[in-house]
Amino acid sequence: MFTKITEYEGIHEYLMNANQMKVLLSPRRAAPVVAFMVVYRVGSRNEAVGYTGSTHLLEHMMFKGTPTFNKHRGTQIAAVLQRCGALFNADTWYDRTRYFEMLPSDQLELAVHLEADRMRNSFIADEDRQSEMTVVRNELERSENDPGTILDERIWAMSFREHPYHHPTIGWRSDVEGVPTSRLKEFYDTYYHPNNATAIVVGDFDEQAALDLIAAHFGSISASPHPIPPMYTTEPMQEGENRFTLRRAGQLGIVEIGWRTPEAKHPDTAALAVLDHILSAGVTSRLYQALVEQQHAVGMSAHAAQFLDPGLFTLAITLRPGIKHEDAERIALDEIERLKTEEVTSKELQKARNMIASQLIYLRDSPFGVVSAIAEAEAVADWKFYVDLPKLVERVTAEDVKRVVTEYFITDHRTVGYFIPKTEE
Amino acid sequence: MKDTFAARTERYVLPNGLTLLVLENPANPTVSVTGYLKAGSYFNPPEQHGVSRLTADMLSKGTMRRSKLEIAEALESAGARISFSGNTFTVSIAAQALSRDFSLVISTLAEELREPEFPADELEKLTQRIIAGIQHSQEDTRARAIERFAQLVYSPESPFHQPSAAQLIAEVERVTAGDLRQFYEQYYSAASLILTVVGDVKAEEVRGLIDKTLGDWQGAPAAQINLPFTPLQTEPKRDLVFVKDKANADVVIGHASMLRRANPDYLAAAIANRALGQSTLSSRLGLKVRDEMGLTYGINSFYAESGLGDGPYLITVTVAPSNVERAIEATQQIVQDYVTGGIREDELSDEQASVIGSFKVGLATNAGIAMQLASTELYGLGIAYLDDYPGLIAALTKPQVDAAIRKYLHPERATTVIAGTYVQ
Repeated sequence: MFTKITEYEGIHEYLMNANQMKVLLSPRRAAPVVAFMVVYRVGSRNEAVGYTGSTHLLEHMMFKGTPTFNKHRGTQIAAVLQRCGALFNADTWYDRTRYFEMLPSDQLELAVHLEADRMRNSFIADEDRQSEMTVVRNELERSENDPGTILDERIWAMSFREHPYHHPTIGWRSDVEGVPTSRLKEFYDTYYHPNNATAIVVGDFDEQAALDLIAAHFGSISASPHPIPPMYTTEPMQEGENRFTLRRAGQLGIVEIGWRTPEAKHPDTAALAVLDHILSAGVTSRLYQALVEQQHAVGMSAHAAQFLDPGLFTLAITLRPGIKHEDAERIALDEIERLKTEEVTSKELQKARNMIASQLIYLRDSPFGVVSAIAEAEAVADWKFYVDLPKLVERVTAEDVKRVVTEYFITDHRTVGYFIPKTEE
Repeated sequence: MKDTFAARTERYVLPNGLTLLVLENPANPTVSVTGYLKAGSYFNPPEQHGVSRLTADMLSKGTMRRSKLEIAEALESAGARISFSGNTFTVSIAAQALSRDFSLVISTLAEELREPEFPADELEKLTQRIIAGIQHSQEDTRARAIERFAQLVYSPESPFHQPSAAQLIAEVERVTAGDLRQFYEQYYSAASLILTVVGDVKAEEVRGLIDKTLGDWQGAPAAQINLPFTPLQTEPKRDLVFVKDKANADVVIGHASMLRRANPDYLAAAIANRALGQSTLSSRLGLKVRDEMGLTYGINSFYAESGLGDGPYLITVTVAPSNVERAIEATQQIVQDYVTGGIREDELSDEQASVIGSFKVGLATNAGIAMQLASTELYGLGIAYLDDYPGLIAALTKPQVDAAIRKYLHPERATTVIAGTYVQ
């Protein structure tokens, strides 16, 4: 039924012979709890104009039932999971969609059964889409309430003109409202197949018993009758800085800057992760010191995206009242420029390494933390990326950090957005 | 019996009154610390709303021995974390470290608790950030709805009342380092400190370290809470808070809960709420207003603060401005039907199973266990309560839960607040 592929850092990889589904098992008997996750290699990256947001809307539809699990039979998906005390949900991101349950270990079969069932048997009915569309529209409205979220969306939209990271995962409003059920069904039939998924089990379980359960429930599902279509759009080189303003009612100004960076698998990802920590992690970080400590900003965050395709390093600064956007931007950019000429200290480097290494150990406190990290790695690179990145980080040198700043943080490859609160008229 | 919490947890009460609970869990080389001190906003002097919170926040802003930056450098270099946050009655302590850095975290925590400096320049920076935070929250429709609700339901003397942003900013601006020092002297003490430690550590070593670092800390006697119950409102009320340029409106419907953790029917009341609105996906409110009507991404009901005090009972709904009235009407009807008909037998058994299962799931992490231990201590329930809890839940009956529904849910006297770009 399964071919054992490899074993690495306590994770066992199998391939289901019949349908090419990847299975990853990591037994950890700390508490009588198990986490199960199915991650599909489909996200908003696989959408285009007219059906942006479809991956996410489909994810919502996957809770609407199958012939086995549905409201009329008293087996509504959320209700059966709630009943056993599961922590469960699903979410969609650029490169992947994941469905998960963390539950008492004697309930693992329920999670496996449910996920196998909805992989191919979801209703995706038009009447359900109509009511769920407005639920999703309210989700979109909630995020639109926050100026910081909108500013970030626009940074991505302006940085990516051709590549689908251009549009937010939740989709453009009119696409969410207008997409027909048949398009969602088509999406489901294109991507929801075992050969486009990885099933992951972490926690308190017996390896053979888990394989038997997976075989029993997923074994009869065939691989897709067609190859999974690749997404082939690439973003051309950015030729010059983008700059924009967003004006609406609000209280505090925000500056956000995004620089184009490479894909997760790229060898520079580890150095960019270290740079992210040196710039923004904790009170001692350079940008916290320059912006918040010096009272130009009330908050600051940076994020080095690790995606399947090239992404962005983003930096968002929430201004202290009375501080000009231009001044905060200049201070941040000066800090970046300094990194191109002076190497970071060995103390800073070691601190960043320790923080990244300890985060990996902390997330092992919870089966859910581990299952999520494995799934994320699986979506953007390969599951081994989850354990390899901290090892790569150990080898990052001060010179590497200087080199990546010089290579990626250049004016022509950045997008700068200002949120300017509109005062009462 | 070795598997019970009562058997696995070591409980020590130091001569100075500090209570320490330790549970060894060698599964992962980490350790979680959770704690409480009775020094929350309930103890704020009149017209000094920010004092409790500022005092808690300033603990990590420098001690008599080290600056904020020196402390941060030591913790961040080890990937460790200590945080303090002010609540209504308590200040919560949360810390996390790799086990090898446990003594670093405990000695730092002790230093911050015992020898805070309250430097004026740090206070000024913190004050400005808090003020900006208050201003920022004025953009948030949920925060605005809850703020107005708290003003309509609670008198200014109540710890559950919320002053206006303008008043809060004015009061925060006036706070001096001297005010913080005074508050600290009066309320921070070993006598009211509860610490729980869970992870890859040895109980005896923890005890030794706590003795060494906090054993001779005296401070003030433990503070007392004497709070009368807030009576239920006599009339329903409704109000609007206009917030510009918002695609989503937030609706809050609720009333004084009259429920504290010590109420004998607390568990029945908790089950009563769960079937109504604990889960957006599977409770009564969610099944109708989200799943069937498609009006909202999120609808929930909850006792906002039924611990040492009796905070509000709230139902929160997010909704497009055009759907506000339909959502309110549907919500009220569901609650009314629930009060009239009570919980169904199948709902009761589902919720009992759910509570028991999710209790187990919540105990899968060191932090989850530490939090449960700390709250049983805070509420005086005893460690064995964690072992008894599933049985207590399983024993609840429909008449008990129905009685709790009738006692604690009062839709006919609820206060409704809508915040957003919405005009009636």
